[in-house]
Amino acid sequence: MNCFITLFKNELKLNIRNMNMVIFSIIMPLIVLVILIFIYGTETLVEGTKYNFIEQSFGALCTISICASGLMGLPLLISEYRERKILKHFQVTPVSPQKLLIIEFIIYVTYCVVSTLTLFLVSILFLKIKIYGSLATFLGSWILTMVSTLSIGIMVGGIAKNTKSVSVIASILYFPALIFSGATLPFEIMPNVVQKIISYFPITQGIQLMKATFLGLPIENIKLPIIFMVATTLICFSIAIKFFRWE
Amino acid sequence: MKYVIEVKQLSKSYKNLIAVDRINLSVKRGTIYGLLGANGAGKTTTIECILGIKSSDSGTVSILGHNPIKERKYLYQKVGVQFQESNYQPEIKVFELCQEISSLYKSPSDWKKLCKQFGMNDKIKNTIKNLSGGERQRLSIILALIPNPEVVFFDELTTGLDTEARYNIWKILYQLKTKGLTIFLTSHFMDEVEMLCDEICIMKKGKAVFYGTVKYAKQISNCAKFEDAYITLSREEIK
Repeated sequence: MNCFITLFKNELKLNIRNMNMVIFSIIMPLIVLVILIFIYGTETLVEGTKYNFIEQSFGALCTISICASGLMGLPLLISEYRERKILKHFQVTPVSPQKLLIIEFIIYVTYCVVSTLTLFLVSILFLKIKIYGSLATFLGSWILTMVSTLSIGIMVGGIAKNTKSVSVIASILYFPALIFSGATLPFEIMPNVVQKIISYFPITQGIQLMKATFLGLPIENIKLPIIFMVATTLICFSIAIKFFRWE
Repeated sequence: MKYVIEVKQLSKSYKNLIAVDRINLSVKRGTIYGLLGANGAGKTTTIECILGIKSSDSGTVSILGHNPIKERKYLYQKVGVQFQESNYQPEIKVFELCQEISSLYKSPSDWKKLCKQFGMNDKIKNTIKNLSGGERQRLSIILALIPNPEVVFFDELTTGLDTEARYNIWKILYQLKTKGLTIFLTSHFMDEVEMLCDEICIMKKGKAVFYGTVKYAKQISNCAKFEDAYITLSREEIK
């Protein structure tokens, strides 16, 4: 346990010192929130509904940090550690690969938690937002979205050949996820084709689920996104652990 | 268990190159064993196969009676390793790395004491990327000793160090040896090998061309200086 805490503390400190994730995972979602407040104001309701804009897109805002952590930060970190032979150094110590992966995983979970909390606090401070659905189901869908996205990251970092290919794959996953899934731009305005393709991202499923649970909308076919995200998580994790390489 | 490290008929080849060719090594407890050879002779591949980092094509390896691949977690509680080129997390500081490595072991040595011994006391708050080559080398030796190991591997023990630092390290290793530590090292410095090693193996193009003591190497090559003996032996054609 002592080992776990020391490793977690140290790795988190190093990660924060690097600043990339602080910017992309914590500051950027806040900037998007502030821009949305400026554009739509604090009072305006979304046409034909009783919700304001932030209430409608709170779930989507939360996924900005999830995308940055899971599709950028985590896979890049794992491949960098391998390429710089830091993992090789760990290979000749008693630590297990599972433990290392879980510690890095929890670090990126921490970013997601901090981001969601700050978004929530700022939203409450500047405008009245209200969870129309239930907090528990919203948190449930948030956790599902986060875990499934991070598992993709662990898999990509685990199996990609080198840091260069990871940054290519990460960009291919990160930018479409950020732009088309509804994280920054509303999913509904996307052309039909894009909507169809992007529906296969667990993050899109997650955003829809979070939106529905936040606003208390009826969810048709709730099983489908849940099964989809759980399956993604299980498959990605098993691949990551099975094909783990130190070097 | 007579031998702490036992390697039998170890072979490893890459695509079209035989890097290690039927090497046999046995290292007794409390001795220092030196693996010598030119660059590219196969020393590092041999060490990596012994440590289980690379899988060998054939042959067997045991450290402290255990298989380094199958019993990795158990074995590495008692084994310390220094690599030729060590890389660490970017931005990490000396004390953070020492803390992190210490936390992995059940009964680690006091890393602060080790830092003092190796003259790194005033550097513990520095970032590793700002250390000089010699300081990094000393740090990598400290890290290999943090586990409080029964066996320690050094790949290029004192490369990049000044005379005084080298002398200091020899002294410390000699003390550790008398306390029962088994040391396996590679080196390009013949004075170091002569001073420290109880037994040596000279490799050439993946094959062992000499096994024995430094004294024996001088005897069979008819040289007064070990440096000359090494050159003679490593020049010999492989039978």
